[in-house]
Amino acid sequence: MAGLELLTDQGYRLDGRKASELRKFQARMGVFAQADGSAYLEQGNTKALAVVYGPHEIRGSRSRALHDRAVINCQYSMATFSTAERKRRPHGDRKSTEMSLHLKQTFEAAVMTQLFPRSQIDIYVKILQSDGGNYSVCVNAATLAVIDAGIPMRDYVCACTVGFVDETPLADLCYAEESGGVSSLALALLPRGGQIALVQMDARLHQDHLETLIEAAMTACKGVSKVLDEVVRQHLQEASVHSRE
Amino acid sequence: NMSPLRLCVPGEKLCSVDDCRAGTGVYQRHGYIYSSLAGYVLKKNEGEELPVISVVRETEAQLLPDVGAIVTCKVTGINSRFAKVHILYVGSTPLKDRFRGTIRKEDVRESEKDKISLGDVQSTYLLTTAENELGVVVAHSEAGAQMIPISWREMQCPQTNAKEFRKVARVQPEYLEA
Repeated sequence: MAGLELLTDQGYRLDGRKASELRKFQARMGVFAQADGSAYLEQGNTKALAVVYGPHEIRGSRSRALHDRAVINCQYSMATFSTAERKRRPHGDRKSTEMSLHLKQTFEAAVMTQLFPRSQIDIYVKILQSDGGNYSVCVNAATLAVIDAGIPMRDYVCACTVGFVDETPLADLCYAEESGGVSSLALALLPRGGQIALVQMDARLHQDHLETLIEAAMTACKGVSKVLDEVVRQHLQEASVHSRE
Repeated sequence: NMSPLRLCVPGEKLCSVDDCRAGTGVYQRHGYIYSSLAGYVLKKNEGEELPVISVVRETEAQLLPDVGAIVTCKVTGINSRFAKVHILYVGSTPLKDRFRGTIRKEDVRESEKDKISLGDVQSTYLLTTAENELGVVVAHSEAGAQMIPISWREMQCPQTNAKEFRKVARVQPEYLEA
């Protein structure tokens, strides 16, 4: 297809970034007073809102309670206005259910659930504007919200979606790149220990490229973790200044 | 005595287990102590033992009722076998969200401790008042007035002078607030 090159010869992508460059990151913690923890995150044009409640007593069926740790309940949904065409079914469709399950698995790896037996932690994430890398932005937003709620975690969870074009891995894909036929892989990482919480890919990729792609994803996630770290520290500073006044 | 406060984030390495002991808000891994919360590092020296390092936040962390904890609850329902309660305070800390608990008939008084009913799938917290200091602290009579305890098993209404049976708690003087 002429005109729209995912990666030009000089190494520039559709939005002018270099191959390993992340999108512009903006985040705020504690946006809602009524929830235990909340965060708003923008990565480029993808905007997500995460809200955390808990730990509290198990709601609904008591049989779901685990005697030795907390149950993490995740719900992923997209606002009807988040995509180019108005979304007809924001919750309950298969993609949302799968995303919710992935988020649950990701956070079960990081949150120290053994400290809260027989209780429940709710994580709700809503995509307000979708421009690629939905899962990754959700994970990053949810990490900030969980930290805001004061729920103990082993480490940050940072995620990034990467893709492969012309032998080069591209970090932090946007929607145009994702739909332009790039094999995209989403990876959630606990940066300090270098442990992978979740890897997800449903495209075709040559086996030889897998290792390079995962390496690139881990590097990108470490970059994300630095930005998240700054956001958390700044929020702590502001909170401490506030309380002293 | 405590050393000056510094900020830390989840996953940050604080010190090794040879320097400090782990307190709250931290976890141990491979011989080092890491933070699990975003907050301030607090190092408390306790005499000859290693100092205790913990991470605290501005707001109180959510407390969960733990086995052996003394809690304050409100009775929400009674039947012949047990009473349902809402757990409101753990120790002296109020809970943000009430938890549900059950006091079985045999757990009210120590004399009937041997009769244990098995097979009851309990998904709520099981409580007992089978000690002298545990039991009813506030009760209202049928007339609606707050009753005064007259013995360990009876309370009297000041308005009607009627006596009602309750398992009264003998609260230690240091727990009584004005």
